[in-house]
Amino acid sequence: MLEARAVTKIYETRGVETVALRDVTLTIEAGEFTALAGPSGSGKTTLLNLYGALDVPTRGEILLEGEALHGLSPSELAQRRLQKLGFIFQAYNLIPVLSARENVEFVMELQGVRPAERKERAMGVLGEVGLGDLADKRPLEMSGGQQQRVAVARAIVSEPRVVLADEPTANLDSRTAEGLLDLMHEMNRRHGVTFLFSTHDPMVIEKSQRRVRLRDGQIVADESLAA
Amino acid sequence: MTLELRLAWRNIGRNLRRTGLTVAATVFAVFLVILSVTLQHGVHEKMVEDAVRVLSGHVQVSGEDYLDQRTLEQYVEVGPELLERLEATRGVVGVAPRVVGFGLVSKGSSTNGVAVFGVDPEREGRVSTLPTRMVEGEFLAPGGQGGILLGGRLANNLGARLGDELLLYSVAYSLETAYELYTVQGILRLPEPALDRTLVLLSLQDAQTFFAYGNKVSEVALLADHAGEVGPILAELAGGVRGSDGAALAVHSWNEVMPELEQFIFLDDAGAYIILFILVVVVAFGILNTILMSVLERVRELGVMLALGLKPGSIFRVVYLESMMLAGLGLLIGLVLAIPTALHLEQNPIPMGEEMAGVAELVAMDPVVTFVLHPSTPIGAALVILFVAALAALYPAIKASRSRPVDALRSL
Repeated sequence: MLEARAVTKIYETRGVETVALRDVTLTIEAGEFTALAGPSGSGKTTLLNLYGALDVPTRGEILLEGEALHGLSPSELAQRRLQKLGFIFQAYNLIPVLSARENVEFVMELQGVRPAERKERAMGVLGEVGLGDLADKRPLEMSGGQQQRVAVARAIVSEPRVVLADEPTANLDSRTAEGLLDLMHEMNRRHGVTFLFSTHDPMVIEKSQRRVRLRDGQIVADESLAA
Repeated sequence: MTLELRLAWRNIGRNLRRTGLTVAATVFAVFLVILSVTLQHGVHEKMVEDAVRVLSGHVQVSGEDYLDQRTLEQYVEVGPELLERLEATRGVVGVAPRVVGFGLVSKGSSTNGVAVFGVDPEREGRVSTLPTRMVEGEFLAPGGQGGILLGGRLANNLGARLGDELLLYSVAYSLETAYELYTVQGILRLPEPALDRTLVLLSLQDAQTFFAYGNKVSEVALLADHAGEVGPILAELAGGVRGSDGAALAVHSWNEVMPELEQFIFLDDAGAYIILFILVVVVAFGILNTILMSVLERVRELGVMLALGLKPGSIFRVVYLESMMLAGLGLLIGLVLAIPTALHLEQNPIPMGEEMAGVAELVAMDPVVTFVLHPSTPIGAALVILFVAALAALYPAIKASRSRPVDALRSL
């Protein structure tokens, strides 16, 4: 599903080089519920961005369903993200000028899904995440937890192969975070959606079936729990 | 509505105060540009219409090289067929043949250099306002009667009054000395001081006799319905105009006859357009500033959209559409306000103040400020505003579309 092969990522800021990832090789299989854990600066978000075709490695390669992302144009990368990936970011990740339903429809609209079908699917998923009544609200009219649930709905509504979530619970209280996590777990269990988290939230790590720990840009542990 | 249009439209509603200010600046610019250009056109057209009616007419037919030489050698052999042909030209409302020569006029010990115009008293009033400029005495009557009219300043300089006899002398077409006594029949007031100091009018017949000119004239002045007819008249006469003797004649428009007036209008326009250009640049920077601020404020949001699969081209179009909508909104409101105002002013010229009215009357102008709205004015203003908006939008749109999602997401 997702493969990182001997990936190194170096950032350069004002002539100073920072190695974010060193020679990382990691494969995420379909249907996994995986957490990339580690302290700040360990390289987990960098790895997530590389898997998500949001950034390119300095060395090594990233493969999405067997296709190397290296050398694709910005438009082609956008197309791969649109067709195969779903994203959930920490915060501020909804489009403020669109209602909850329009935010959920956003990806489907880019995919060219017909309006009636879009609306039906969006309302269905919003219902699943418990926000059917807030479909016409704009993000600023919703709580942080509600916004993140809309983001989850948006990430899964187009049935992507994998959902990449960067610190999805970082700005939520523990109760809301647990509810959101249960929701994503349910999506993984019922729809077989692959989830890959970047997190240092112990609750997320605890609920993940596979835990990959990074430190200083390298994988230091990779544990899988029995199903 | 497409996603791009919807995003653009809603984005301009995000910061209503900033949008309102930008739209208001555009409305103000459109309004000012249209009113200024309408006023420019009104003043210039009135200036031309007043100037051509003093003497020149909208179009002049003359011997070739007459405009450069202005001697009796370049003449028009005029007959009824030529005058009928010119009168039949579409758009022409008056035709006046004239003899123009130079000489000296004396009364007692006073002598002045003068421009002698021989005019057809019956036709002249259809082309110029000379017959209406009499302040004393009467205008010339048809036929040769030995009467002479003088500009007011010339009469003063000579100390001439109605009924006085003046000696006019010059060199005739035959190169013999020409001299004749004429009786002052009237005094005119002419708007141009130089003309008022030098002009004498004779009847056409008297002038032809004086200059031994036969049926020749120096020029035939044509008055058009309005200056807009000059082009079609020139086009119609471009096939060739010939005198009664078969000689080819030259046809000139008012701006060739009075190049100084055209230059004045050009310079006046240039000055006005520089100010309008500055105004438009200010609007362009207003739009640039608004859109750039708007883009910088939502770098992360744009990053999210890119991450979700919106292509860079779509981001460019969203930002570009926002700019064009802002400009379009301002333009629309500006046009809705400016066009009726300009039309109202066109129908209802503004009377000049007492002081200005006095000055206008001195130069024989109507004491009103006129406006003329050409269809090209709002169209031109719209195109200019849209063009500068399109230009101003380029930088923020390119900047937004070139952002990498990973940088944008990291920006907060």
